[in-house]
Amino acid sequence: MATSSSDPVVSIDNVRKEYQLGGTVTALDGVDLLFEPGSYTAVMGPSGSGKSTLLNLVGALDTPTSGDVIVAGENVATLSETERAALRGTRIGFIFQTFNLMPRLTAVENVALPLMFAEWTRSRRRERAESLLTDVGLGNRFDHLPKELSGGQRQRVAIARALSSDPELILADEPTGNVDTETGTEIMSLLRDANDRGNAVLLVTHERRIAEHADRIVNVRDGVVEGIEQVEHTTPAETEVGAVGTGAGQGATEERR
Amino acid sequence: MKARDGVRIALRSLTGHRLRSALTIVGIVIGIGTVIIFASFGTSVQTDVVGEFEDTAASEILVVTGDVGLDPNDDSFGPPPEPGNLDSFALPGVTTHDLEQLRDIDGVQSVIPRAELDTATTLEYDGQRQPQTVIATSPSAFTEDNIVSGRSFEQGESGVMVITERAAAAFEGNLSVGETVTIEPGDEPETLEIVGIVTQARGGLNLVGGLNNEAYVPSDPYYQEYGETVRSPSQGVDQAAYRQATLVAEPDQVTDTSSAVETYFEQESDAGQVIEGGVTVQSAAEIVDGIEEVLGDIIRLVSGIGLLALLVGAFGIANIMLVSVTERTKEIGIMKANGARNRAVMGLFLSEAVMLGLAGAMVGIPAGLAVGYGASAYAEVGFTVPYGWILVATLMGIATGVVSGLYPAWRAARVDPIDALRYE
Repeated sequence: MATSSSDPVVSIDNVRKEYQLGGTVTALDGVDLLFEPGSYTAVMGPSGSGKSTLLNLVGALDTPTSGDVIVAGENVATLSETERAALRGTRIGFIFQTFNLMPRLTAVENVALPLMFAEWTRSRRRERAESLLTDVGLGNRFDHLPKELSGGQRQRVAIARALSSDPELILADEPTGNVDTETGTEIMSLLRDANDRGNAVLLVTHERRIAEHADRIVNVRDGVVEGIEQVEHTTPAETEVGAVGTGAGQGATEERR
Repeated sequence: MKARDGVRIALRSLTGHRLRSALTIVGIVIGIGTVIIFASFGTSVQTDVVGEFEDTAASEILVVTGDVGLDPNDDSFGPPPEPGNLDSFALPGVTTHDLEQLRDIDGVQSVIPRAELDTATTLEYDGQRQPQTVIATSPSAFTEDNIVSGRSFEQGESGVMVITERAAAAFEGNLSVGETVTIEPGDEPETLEIVGIVTQARGGLNLVGGLNNEAYVPSDPYYQEYGETVRSPSQGVDQAAYRQATLVAEPDQVTDTSSAVETYFEQESDAGQVIEGGVTVQSAAEIVDGIEEVLGDIIRLVSGIGLLALLVGAFGIANIMLVSVTERTKEIGIMKANGARNRAVMGLFLSEAVMLGLAGAMVGIPAGLAVGYGASAYAEVGFTVPYGWILVATLMGIATGVVSGLYPAWRAARVDPIDALRYE
């Protein structure tokens, strides 16, 4: 796992991103950021601030107009489309606001999706997916389709999927945006668990309350980084949240290491 | 992504839309079904016709004066002889001497000359006069199977006639064995006794049944006396000469015998010297090959009509796959975010299209066979399963899937993951 390396898991160096939409729209205007292995960062900003563009670049879904985006040691701009797909599938885990599960695949198959594209055998995939689903508290929902699951359960499937290839980096785009507050708290604690196991987490949100779950908050506005603040986790609520679901999660962590 | 996983995921998508998938393959089912119907019915007819002909005539070698284009290596039966060749086509040239020599060739069981008595064109019975072709031939023309009643005639026997059932039926009253009829081959009428009634005679060119409306007399004496003659170069005298004769060969020596006969006509025969174009020697097997080839061409042509329906089906698949790509844009985005390469996405959609095509073949082939079987039963020919065509139809189903799926799959592979993930 990336924790053994001292190189940043993501390094963003003077990155510009422009779109041609009738005229030139600058989404990111010279951004520098470093994400250390095992770190937990929230990127905050209003809509249109460029935080989604940042996420797309870090997620190797897009390439910068200029500057370097280096993810897990790979310069995204110089990779071929196929290499970027492989990078996404094996080194990055995605969690979306709208869950984005495959509607005709069961919970286990959804979790195993990145492993299928990475050509794991079917039995190993199922084993891994079942263990991850158990970790997120869905041990009795293996063969359910997404439509048979609640919003919170779907997002937990998505989290298990993001963890399936044990990536260095987990990207969460407004992960609590479509669930109620209570479920949101559960989701955030699962992300915290993942981070405790060594996966770097990059959380994109516009809600300060959610951003405060991270160790560091990067404020983005109009395509530039306005400020970076460290978060002190001393509130009782945070301690309480961190305890949820740790039992099963820690056990699985020990097995994998 | 492994191929097996791809197939499973694609199958999941198809079964997720059962009705849509079923309707999409209807065009393919019709196309492939049509091909199989025509192919199976055509093949059945072909097998039946060829089989029937082979049973009766497989060991026959046909000798015809002139150059008759019956060569199966030609495109078909070939064009009719050109005007300039008509002379050699029609001329009598196979002399009595030739027939005797042919009889002595190894492998020849019997020689059946055949010639119309041009002068005898009517038959009179009990005051009725009917136009009737009278054919001079030899007793070997009548096999036991073909004799309905009475007997064959002997060579050299005067005043006798054998007639087909069909010709006999042309007369009112009971024209049967023992009755007498009158023909007029020369200046004087001759009265002949019907000694046998037959279904047909060997030695004709009646490949697929023919009309069999014929009356037969022994070539000796009738053709000797009334037929056409040429001066035999080898004998130096005028001899009766035929345009056509059939040799019955030992069944296992047809090819050898056929070439021996050919050699005879090329080297020493009267006919070879008298007739400018020589003599065409053709074994029945070769003629059967020719028929088979022509029928095969017809089957291919008609089955090609099914390809039109298949083309319509291909557009159906392409259309539904394009709709599917649009509908599942978000899924494509999800897959790409989770590590699917463009090739994997393309493979998924292409597999779906191929499976649709293959499913069309799987349904169309049995359906076509069933209809083909019904048609064969109705036409009273034995049913032959066209295995080659089944293979062709399966491949056509797959090919249709590939062709119609390529563009939609390419579109799917090119979907931009960022746009796709935002797509609702």
